[in-house]
Amino acid sequence: MKIVQARRISQIFFFSLFVWLIIVSTVGEKFWQIRAWPVNLFLHLDPLVAIGTILTTHTLYYPLLWALITIVLTIILGRFFCSWVCPFGSLHHFTGYLANRNKKTPHKIQLNKYRSTQSVKYFILAFLLGTAAFPSIGNSLQTGLLDPIPLISRSFSTVLLPVADKGSYLTSVAQRFYEGAWLIFAIFAAAVLLNLVIPRFYCRFVCPLGALFGVIGRFAIWRIGKNKNECINCKLCERACEGGCEPAGQIRTSECVLCFNCRQDCKDDLIKYQTSKSLAGEITNPDISRRGFVLSLAGGVLAVPAARLSNKLGANWYYKVIRPPGALEEKEFLKRCIKCGQCMRICPTNVIQPAGIEGGIENLWTPVLNNRIGSSGCQLNCVACGQVCPTSAIRPITLDEKRGLGEFAHLGPIKLGTAFVDQNRCLPWAMNKPCIVCEENCPVSPKAIYTQEHYNTVRDGILTIKAVTENTIEFLGKSNSTNLATGDYYCLMQDGQHINIAANTQTSIVLADGENLSKMPSAGDKIAIQVRLQRPVVDIEKCIGCGICEHECPVSGKRAIRVSAEGESRSSDRRILPGG
Amino acid sequence: MNQNNPQFNVGSTGRTNSRLESVVSISIIAILLAIAATLFIRQADTDISRFGITPANLQPSQKPVPEAETSPFIQVPAGFDKLSEPEVYNAENLYEKINGKAPLYTEAGFSKLYCQRFVNKSDANLWMEVFLYDMGNLRNAFSVYSMQRRPDAKTLSAFVQMYGYGTSNGLYFVYGRYYIEMIGSAESDQLVMAMLETAANIQKNPMVAGDLKIEELDLFQSENLVPDSAKLYLKNAFGFEGLSDVFTAQYKIGRQPITVFFSKCPNVQDAEAMAESYRKFLTENDATVKQTTSEFLKNKIFDFYGATEMVFTTGQFVVGVHEAENQDAAEKAAMILAVKLSNSNKIKQ
Amino acid sequence: MSEQNNKNIGRREFFTRTAKAAISIGAAGVAARLFYDAKGPQRGGKAEKLVTLPDFSVPQEAGKTISVVKGSDRIKSVNKAIELLGGIKRFVKAGETVVIKPNVAFATPAMLGATTNPELVAEVVRLCYKEAGAKEVFVIDNPINDPASCFMLSGIEKAATAAGAKVIMPTPSLFANTTVKDATLIKDWPVLFGPLEKADKLIGIAPVKHHHRSGASMTMKNWYGLLGGRRNTFHQDINGIIAELAVMVKPTLVILDGTMVMMTNGPTGGSISDLKRADTMIASCDMVAADSCGCELLGKKVSDLPYLTKAQDYGIGTTDWQSLNPATATLS
Repeated sequence: MKIVQARRISQIFFFSLFVWLIIVSTVGEKFWQIRAWPVNLFLHLDPLVAIGTILTTHTLYYPLLWALITIVLTIILGRFFCSWVCPFGSLHHFTGYLANRNKKTPHKIQLNKYRSTQSVKYFILAFLLGTAAFPSIGNSLQTGLLDPIPLISRSFSTVLLPVADKGSYLTSVAQRFYEGAWLIFAIFAAAVLLNLVIPRFYCRFVCPLGALFGVIGRFAIWRIGKNKNECINCKLCERACEGGCEPAGQIRTSECVLCFNCRQDCKDDLIKYQTSKSLAGEITNPDISRRGFVLSLAGGVLAVPAARLSNKLGANWYYKVIRPPGALEEKEFLKRCIKCGQCMRICPTNVIQPAGIEGGIENLWTPVLNNRIGSSGCQLNCVACGQVCPTSAIRPITLDEKRGLGEFAHLGPIKLGTAFVDQNRCLPWAMNKPCIVCEENCPVSPKAIYTQEHYNTVRDGILTIKAVTENTIEFLGKSNSTNLATGDYYCLMQDGQHINIAANTQTSIVLADGENLSKMPSAGDKIAIQVRLQRPVVDIEKCIGCGICEHECPVSGKRAIRVSAEGESRSSDRRILPGG
Repeated sequence: MNQNNPQFNVGSTGRTNSRLESVVSISIIAILLAIAATLFIRQADTDISRFGITPANLQPSQKPVPEAETSPFIQVPAGFDKLSEPEVYNAENLYEKINGKAPLYTEAGFSKLYCQRFVNKSDANLWMEVFLYDMGNLRNAFSVYSMQRRPDAKTLSAFVQMYGYGTSNGLYFVYGRYYIEMIGSAESDQLVMAMLETAANIQKNPMVAGDLKIEELDLFQSENLVPDSAKLYLKNAFGFEGLSDVFTAQYKIGRQPITVFFSKCPNVQDAEAMAESYRKFLTENDATVKQTTSEFLKNKIFDFYGATEMVFTTGQFVVGVHEAENQDAAEKAAMILAVKLSNSNKIKQ
Repeated sequence: MSEQNNKNIGRREFFTRTAKAAISIGAAGVAARLFYDAKGPQRGGKAEKLVTLPDFSVPQEAGKTISVVKGSDRIKSVNKAIELLGGIKRFVKAGETVVIKPNVAFATPAMLGATTNPELVAEVVRLCYKEAGAKEVFVIDNPINDPASCFMLSGIEKAATAAGAKVIMPTPSLFANTTVKDATLIKDWPVLFGPLEKADKLIGIAPVKHHHRSGASMTMKNWYGLLGGRRNTFHQDINGIIAELAVMVKPTLVILDGTMVMMTNGPTGGSISDLKRADTMIASCDMVAADSCGCELLGKKVSDLPYLTKAQDYGIGTTDWQSLNPATATLS
């Protein structure tokens, strides 16, 4: 078996595994649902995630120890990950192959030549590590923007699978929606389509993970190189060179992705994977200047405090940044979130959405709740998101901790925010229409929404009695009310009594059976037709901000009850109540 | 020189290390297989309790639960097609179907709901939804049935000897331990015919068989009885948790109908205890004793917020009148019922 | 021969590289071990721990807990008031670091009485340096309005610096979170901890003011100026917060300036007519006693200010200030 065949099998294996793990990221016990599938496998193997979080939090979250395997293997073998494991890389490899397979050899060789702009990815790496490095100045984890594993994970979760589901419902019972997915798609599509320009464009020019591997792999024990001096410089080896590393001359080991195509293509069998240096010479260091490196690093270091000048982490915080239950306090959260989209994928109610930049530029693609999207707000008995967060930006909390039960009873339930009734839009507050959908749906017990009874006279509701027979009151003139028999309408008598109305016509109302009139009204008395409203009021101390009320509110545009993040448990500086 | 060769299969001659290459390649494949096997073994743990939510309460209500037990009761009526798949709900996810009404059922012994929609073959605007609530027993089914009786209920010949009624667009009845509702999209004779046919099919199904009659309801029998006014409160009757298994009905005496009630207790002492606790509840809530000429009803009649309330016992029955307007009429109604109940006592003895 | 040479060079190069690779692997392993976090971040687990304010109080001496001096000259009355309690040397030892917390809440001129009189602040600074021999005196506050304007327009910055003190602005890095024991309000809340961390003594200086929400603002309410964050939420339970502030802060000495009392429209006042001359200076080791004595200048009783009894219940001090045998004097 040829090594390139093994490589292709490996690529297919890991790519399929990756896609499968994304597909199964839905809550359930079936084989095609999450069960105990290690859905974060690729993210945990990714050393950029591990190193990034070590820089920002000065800890290595225990599942990220898997990255040590990748690092050790890279130190020994070189950039094997890029062409044997990385699903994004395999996608680029395949696209590039499709685009170029009918081109003539000289053209292909020319496409694969080394370009000095390949050093840009090292600057990107330096920049991203700079943003993570200095807590005293301000740091956050932004590697997720361009790290290929979170990037492809996010693209599949929020774009590709939901689009595939449309109509076919292959991987989800209901259509999933994700705000701003167009941008995620645009970036993904651009990265893939750029392979039509130069093969493995992203890998060669942009990928910070590849850059990291290039640096780590400098002392690789085995490397591609020539073992004989008789090279005739035909450059066939560069025909399918994936890394753009020029094996025909002085091979640039930091660019070599170990695709072994050169070894396969060399007709004179000169190229080997060997422990000794290439006889044609090799360049192990990435082609970046010290000045360029320092500038990128400094840029990264300064970028975070500059980005924070809008004070979005202070008094100017955006109230719609409602994070999932178990999320850390905001500064700590931004140190861990790699924008992988796992929480968005697993959320059974589809309420977790990728954020835009209203909360600050660091907020981009971090998870926030949008209660209008999905099947309901945050379900009371669900803690799925924390279970799949690879870096514990959302902690894996238990149900007891979320609900404030058992050993967490003294802390109370985790609050995501607080619901606020918009009295200008709420039907019983502003429109004289009975409605208590929010109160009915409030899931906590005792409910966090209670009602205050209030009677209001309906439009043109003050009438003069013409005649009274048994339960029927005829009045002068005509009433515009169409149906007063819903049980919510009452006749206000002159003595202040409220009598329920059972039926009505344009000129009469029928009082409900069994209602006891203390005194029979007489002709000439004035009555008022009133609607009994139950006006919802939020009990701040009990509201957990789950958003089910906002989701159910029948005022479906700008909802009449809306959750915002004031009062969230994770923040000490966003409390509404003292002692919060 | 060799630039015109085809892309693949550039096998060179005299390749060295080909053996090693094969060994390495195959070892790598072996490692991949080992990884796949480990993952396959690892994923077999089906305990997903760490996620909190369970699949049963995950499904949005439009979609059927994956292993829906298709209800054998709901057959497609003639001239109709099924509009949706059969759905099954249990006590945990009932609220997804009927939302705020769920506690009415779950607190009355509900165990399963089967429902399905059918649409008329020739007119897509004519469709109906059939609900079969498995309430566990006839009494529970009757309770939820009677508590939701619609004001425009019409007795139907189809339900003679049964508890059931129709409205302009629906059919509601009790059969065995099931409470069945059929709700149509419009007021249409065609729909009513289809509903009646479906109802008949349900009744014919041997799996549905069970008690059809509640004996106690006969105890209300009287010329004053308002037909179909009987209700059964399983617990918390009149807002008092001490009153359970209370049958109520209306007697027409005078202008306003009088609500009478009774509850059958296991023995005389329990009946007296229940009656006493209700009387205590009334007095604690500011009810005052009313005067009466009847020796039997002395200290058993109360003025409760302007209405007359009565509770006493006869044998093992707690009997009474609820929120009556007129004390005389109330006393009359009470006596009618009390006599009926004590007669039944004698027969039993 | 050169081929052998090449081979040797190649071998050496290989070993060097292998060694470097091995060291890298070792370094990676060590780093992993060092940073390894088996538990992950915990709830409310911020990097900074909660702090506790040090106890700055000095031992009690009978008859020298509270002093009340009548006089129209602040400088003279404050000197007398402190002298009656044993002199500044009882409170501040040579070489110590003293923090003075006046009321610098508003950017209003000193004569409106909404802030502590700057000359009074300067005199206390002078006493600390010149008579007690303090090493360093800091003046701090977290004003309601913009800090720079408040310190400047109230005159306190100029007076304090002229007397040799250093004014410390409330920059964010100086705040740390604290939880007061058994508190319901001050839980995991930012306080101006930085200057207090290394200080030896803490002196509070407050004017007597009417306060619209709490009834009065005196020595206990003065500590509100140490709170950070969105502290106005505490106004929902104003008496509770004032009492908890008294639990949180254990000062060396408080000075209550009742020379010109703000009788109405507090806490900002705004007009000279809001002020009334009462010519009283109170120095005390017991904040509750000081405020209970001071409230009479506003025409109020202890029962009018629920926070006094609350603080007494918490064991901070006594509202029955007379029982402490106050030292008194009247100056011409």
